[in-house]
Amino acid sequence: MLRKKTCVAMLLAGGQGSRLGVLTQKVAKPAIPYGGKYRIIDFPLSNCTNSGIDTVGVLTQYQPLELNAYIGSGAPWDLDISNGGVFVLPPYQKGKSGEWYRGTANAIYQNIAFIEQYNPDYVLILSGDHIYKMDYNAMLNYHIRHGADATIAVREVPWDEASRFGIMNTDSEDRIIEFEEKPKNPKSNKASMGVYIFTWSKLRQYLENDEGDKKSNNDFGKNIIPNMLADKQVLVAYSFNGYWKDVGTIESLWEANMDLLETPMPIDMHDKRWRIYAKNPGMAPHYIAKGATVHDTLITEGCEVYGNVNHSILFAGVIIEEGAKVESSVIMPGSVIKRGAVVQRAIVAMNGVVGPGAFVGEETGNIAVVGPGMTVPAGKHIPAGDQVDENYEFDK
Amino acid sequence: MKDIMGLIYTGENDARLRELTVTRAIAAMPVAGRYRVIDFLVSSMVNAGMKNIGVITQKNYHSLMDHLGGEKEWDLHGKNNGLHILPPFLTRENVGLYPGLLDALRSNNNFFVRSKQEIVVLSNSNIIYNARLDELVQFYQDTNADITLLYTKDPTMKRDEYGTYLQLDKSGNVTDMEVQPTHPGYDNVYMQVLVARRELIKDLVDKAVSHGQHSMDRDVLMRLVQDKSAKVNAYEYKGKCWMIDSVQSYFKFNMDILDPKMRKGIFREDMPVFTKVRDEMPACYGDEATTINSLVADGCLVDGTVENSILFRGVKIAAGAHVKNCIIMQDAQVHEGAYIENCILDKQAVIKRNSKLIGPEAYPIVIGKDVVI
Repeated sequence: MLRKKTCVAMLLAGGQGSRLGVLTQKVAKPAIPYGGKYRIIDFPLSNCTNSGIDTVGVLTQYQPLELNAYIGSGAPWDLDISNGGVFVLPPYQKGKSGEWYRGTANAIYQNIAFIEQYNPDYVLILSGDHIYKMDYNAMLNYHIRHGADATIAVREVPWDEASRFGIMNTDSEDRIIEFEEKPKNPKSNKASMGVYIFTWSKLRQYLENDEGDKKSNNDFGKNIIPNMLADKQVLVAYSFNGYWKDVGTIESLWEANMDLLETPMPIDMHDKRWRIYAKNPGMAPHYIAKGATVHDTLITEGCEVYGNVNHSILFAGVIIEEGAKVESSVIMPGSVIKRGAVVQRAIVAMNGVVGPGAFVGEETGNIAVVGPGMTVPAGKHIPAGDQVDENYEFDK
Repeated sequence: MKDIMGLIYTGENDARLRELTVTRAIAAMPVAGRYRVIDFLVSSMVNAGMKNIGVITQKNYHSLMDHLGGEKEWDLHGKNNGLHILPPFLTRENVGLYPGLLDALRSNNNFFVRSKQEIVVLSNSNIIYNARLDELVQFYQDTNADITLLYTKDPTMKRDEYGTYLQLDKSGNVTDMEVQPTHPGYDNVYMQVLVARRELIKDLVDKAVSHGQHSMDRDVLMRLVQDKSAKVNAYEYKGKCWMIDSVQSYFKFNMDILDPKMRKGIFREDMPVFTKVRDEMPACYGDEATTINSLVADGCLVDGTVENSILFRGVKIAAGAHVKNCIIMQDAQVHEGAYIENCILDKQAVIKRNSKLIGPEAYPIVIGKDVVI
């Protein structure tokens, strides 16, 4: 008999993240490396741990192998406990039928049985798309205090960008009166963060009704929330003002990494009161050789630096050979930048190799990407914005 | 390899390590930027497949318990076996400080009896190396020995008035031993690691202690060799090893591993070294940072000059500060304009603005834990 939980978290990690191009060809977005030693999913998972939420379902679908291996039994986030913990939830066969997740709401609908095991009062819906630190427990208290059926976390965005988001129009008591998806003329600048808390009994009802609607997209933003609003359920907006960065495109992922080099850091990763946990690679401290120069850069364990690194982030076990130059770039775990190569405004994904004298990226322009496990042969040039995958043709 | 247990003894003489071992055993000494001396040995045992490892502690074992207590980092957290810390037994016979290894083993007889493995690898804990212990055990089994000793020919491991030295015949059998000679006569240095049947060690210890004896090397091993009453042979460890028994040898190990070749011998991908994790951010280098030939751990903030040094986790080197040939432990700080050379800073030590501390190369200055200069 599993003990009752007040709140269970469900983390939607099934999407492809297709705007991340070669980076997500074989890996789900939440497993993408970030910040020198993290993966994107470390943020929602650590937020759960720090918020006292110890039961988390991670819904996977697209290319889940690396994500599943990374999560393991949940030890790095203190989620390897006997009652609760982290669970990877792929779609599964039920009797004679079974299907893929058809939408964000359908994914939760298919896992009602998982949630029911804990008989929770509330369910927290998260995604693995953003870099942010948030106390979900504070949001839960807000939900309870307002007697809400659903609480939607919102963040104020610049007015000229509001038309790109799902916008919540609220009254003076933060009650949501209208929800507009990408409005041409926004009435408010409060954008939905895709973080929701529902009173479970209510959500369950709406999920079941939505499942019966053949015309529905089975999506929280397009269906569940508008339906609840139409039925005049109590929906409130919870304001969040902290750093919150979408990492859904190559540019934004690169920018989010570069943000960590700002002083002061816009998201305080040194704050021991809200640590972000990660699976540690367990390598020796990194080595900086005589003749190497390292400025304005983050480096983690296992690296060996013989060349010049400026304004960049080196993940675990990266090797920068003598004469190599790395500038404003993100070099993911296990990569090697060989002698005389120049990498600028680029992302070199896991175990990438940039051959001797090769040039990746340019001083200005879009971010160049070397895909996971790819090698740029000696002397080749990869122009700004190009992505190197198996089919890439190396010209000059 | 599942029928082997490990037993580590951590009560070595540490007087020559001065302030560094006031509050911790040699086995718990921070080394190489994020490890403790014992990590290399425990990792060698884990990599050889051992799942039942006991660590006999003597005094000042809090650091050791804190470090090893989280068994998960070494994969020693299972239902069967695991990592057992064995603090000193206070009994009528034993007042807490073991006179010798035999007494320590005798006090932990229970652990011997409860363990199910047939073979035990018994080891000291003040030598750093990364060995294929499974090959050592294989040699022991292949040669049908009663006891196999691990030894090295590395001359830096010899010490006057300390240590045990072996004379071997062509097959590796031990024909003579010297225990703590004034000057070692033999070149084969016993590394204080032996392999034998668990029951055999238990019986030998029982017999020796009940006859008032304390030293494993002198009273048990040497006697067996002289009496020829057991087959005692030796297996050579061919890699590099370091004995940590003085401030100088501690300093030398850390400086030696600044050399990438030395590091490859100790940190091998096929035999990882496990240690306790601290969840730090990657190290941060400022615009004015100058780093030369140094090892830097996560969580450090480097804004000054770091030369031929090792920075442990969370160390802060301010802009305008210069450290050269130093070992700087966790969370220590060197403020603006300070210059330190040939120093060892223990945890949380602080060197304030414009201070200058230059130690002689042969006798590095030790700044104790939490000390502010």
